[in-house]
Amino acid sequence: MEKQTECIVRFQNISKVFPGVKALDGVSFNIKKGEIHALLGENGAGKSTLLNTLHGVNNEYEGTVEIQGRIVSYKNANEAIQDGIVKIHQEVSLIPELTVGQNIALGHEPRKGMFIDYKTLHHDANEILTKMKCNFKSEDLASTLSTGEMQMVAIAKGLYHNAKLISFDEPSASLTNQEVQTLFSIINDLRENGITILYVSHRLDEVFEICDSATVLRDGKHIDTFQLREVTREQLIKKMVGRDVSAYAVRTKPSPKTAEKVLEVENLSVNGVFENINFHLHKGEILGFAGLVGSKRTDVVRTIFGAEEKSGGTIKVKGVPVNIKNPRQGVQLGIGLIPENRKTQGFIKFFNNANNVGLTKMEKFSKYSFVNHRKKTENCNYYIDEINLKPSNPHYMTTNLSGGNQQKVVISKWLSSDAEILILDEPTKGVDVGAKAEIYRVLEELLEKGKSIIVVSSELPEVLGLSDRIIVMREGQKVKEFDNQNLTEEDILQYAMGVNKDVKN
Amino acid sequence: MLKTKEYSRELSLVAAIIIMVIVFSIIEPVYLSGSNLLDIMDQSVINGLLALGITYAIITGGIDLSVGSIFAIVIVVVGDLLVSGLNPVLAIICGVGIGFILGVFNGLLITKLNLQPFIATLGTMSAYRGIAYVITGGWPVLDIPGDFRSIFNSDIFGAFPVSILVLLAFAAVGHIILKYTKLGTYIYAIGGNEEATLLSGVNVNKSKMLAYAISGAGAALAGMVLLARLGSGEPAAGQTYELNAIAAAAIGGASLAGGRGNMIGTLLGAILLSTLKVGLVVVGVDSFWQYIATGAIIVVAAYFEVIQGKLKGMRVGRSNTKAIGVGK
Repeated sequence: MEKQTECIVRFQNISKVFPGVKALDGVSFNIKKGEIHALLGENGAGKSTLLNTLHGVNNEYEGTVEIQGRIVSYKNANEAIQDGIVKIHQEVSLIPELTVGQNIALGHEPRKGMFIDYKTLHHDANEILTKMKCNFKSEDLASTLSTGEMQMVAIAKGLYHNAKLISFDEPSASLTNQEVQTLFSIINDLRENGITILYVSHRLDEVFEICDSATVLRDGKHIDTFQLREVTREQLIKKMVGRDVSAYAVRTKPSPKTAEKVLEVENLSVNGVFENINFHLHKGEILGFAGLVGSKRTDVVRTIFGAEEKSGGTIKVKGVPVNIKNPRQGVQLGIGLIPENRKTQGFIKFFNNANNVGLTKMEKFSKYSFVNHRKKTENCNYYIDEINLKPSNPHYMTTNLSGGNQQKVVISKWLSSDAEILILDEPTKGVDVGAKAEIYRVLEELLEKGKSIIVVSSELPEVLGLSDRIIVMREGQKVKEFDNQNLTEEDILQYAMGVNKDVKN
Repeated sequence: MLKTKEYSRELSLVAAIIIMVIVFSIIEPVYLSGSNLLDIMDQSVINGLLALGITYAIITGGIDLSVGSIFAIVIVVVGDLLVSGLNPVLAIICGVGIGFILGVFNGLLITKLNLQPFIATLGTMSAYRGIAYVITGGWPVLDIPGDFRSIFNSDIFGAFPVSILVLLAFAAVGHIILKYTKLGTYIYAIGGNEEATLLSGVNVNKSKMLAYAISGAGAALAGMVLLARLGSGEPAAGQTYELNAIAAAAIGGASLAGGRGNMIGTLLGAILLSTLKVGLVVVGVDSFWQYIATGAIIVVAAYFEVIQGKLKGMRVGRSNTKAIGVGK
């Protein structure tokens, strides 16, 4: 039995019901002071709801939350922050027009009479930034920072409020590898200083790298809390999904790749972004695009689809030169783009599945501009059955689905448009382990049906496991093209990071 | 597929209107007379037509502040055409066409020049008003021919004014476009998430332009109803009407953030506003107080929306409303 003083947080019997869903169901576990504690589970397992409960965002729940032996019920996130319980959001929100220091102290600025005491403010903020070894100053404008640096500001904001517990929700999702390493060293420093870390991530490599212990939630229930060194990766995944699933991307069937070229790109350029990109896509293959953040992979595929305007080069679809000026023309030529950011680019939040799936090609179920709603529903049913959507209901709002199922709806959109060339940009970003495996299976089935696929991914195991061929990009240039045989992550990283740089093994 | 849940807002608006009618008629029984109820409908026509049109702009996530000025241009141009002897039916077609074209011009500013709808239509609100003054040199257009006036003012089935039919027909057509055509789906999609809509291969610019064109057409119809009613038209007509129209749309559930709103709600919003206004007059409330009551209704209706949102658990995180999200 642990002593109570050792625990910074005790969850006891936490339950939360949303209309129709039991998001949390009697969750009880403890977080020890000064540890890095991973909170794991598939999307929809209840991680976010639990975080919201801890941080005062969700203030109507059953059960009790104890902080250092004291039962708390924060009315809002601000009260939690005052109490030293700080959350770093998945997508950091800073006000770009304000300085770093103003962002850090926002709402709690030191004053001198009526006025803000900027001298003290910047002094205090700089002290924290120096401690964190940041190479920017409190006086810099927030808009000049990179994504990684913005996250540092968010952490500094926590420290400004004397945080004793900091939660990270998918902190590495939009960081470069280097920034992730910086983040990890900061997290380790925080632990040295006695601050407890709650770490939510889908990237198991990271969890094994920096976390001490972990709690697994599944379907709103507490499954287990344990020391990470006592489990293997496979055991951990089994706890998360409740069944054996290969978390690794693997092809299970021989590639149906043919010699036919469905897409040929020659000297494609966008001024100031990328230049002279050459490649082709064979029918029936998966072509992987690897590279670090900032390598402009996304810009290349967006240009092919027509979402950005090219400044030079030619594109041929099935041997015919085409001039794609906007996404509409891309769609008409049989190209589909599953964009990087589902929520802001992938689907319409007020739309149900039938409308989202149908949006790309409404002509299919319309006559003289009039939509046949029955046919629209049938159209949706056809594709969501094929792709095994859960729940398989065309009238269900897409926004209420789990991340993996939302992604399946976005893929269905492009199946519905009869796209022959599917471009997937970060197809499993923010998708849980079980759904990842299903999306990989869907991609394989699409190949069998004669589609050709481009996958842009920052997850090297994904690119390596899925692709027939791999193109590596760096800073707007294609630096290497591989046939995917006996390749290792190191091979790709060498090119992605620049051959002249030292590559960590 | 009519679900009561889906139309809960519309049902509560109907309930609110009925309650108002009951309260007013208890205080002043005359309120319930047939002629008074017709008067309420009649008063709803002009604001209703403007509001139905503006709802299209609002659903795309935009706004159309120029409707009151389009209204004035149509009044003076159609008035001039009629006085110079044009066939009334042709004049009506011209009027709707002018509204449509002025709306398309708004759409061009918003799509091709990429201006914010508020600013673009704030500009055209002033410019169109100026055009109306220039056309008449500031003078009213008088002596509108009776045959035009009788088209809108005559009664069908003994007591049912044609102008009310115009309102209902415009609402019906508007409803059909929104619910049963590709354009309608695109308009909701644009308001819900413009980038996702663009990336789905939808011709966003064309859909937006049509939305503003429909807004202009609604304003044109409203203008001609007034022209027929008064028998004269002046370039100053319709100032601040856009605000009442926005109010009706908002009460009817149109979200200024885009993606939500419909014709039935807006129609009921317009009727509710005139029910209130006529009621306050009949009961004998001072006209100054009418403004206060109107304001209160708008705020209550907006709050109703917030409560509904809370019940659905669809509240958006507070922290995201002010700051921008970074990190793709």
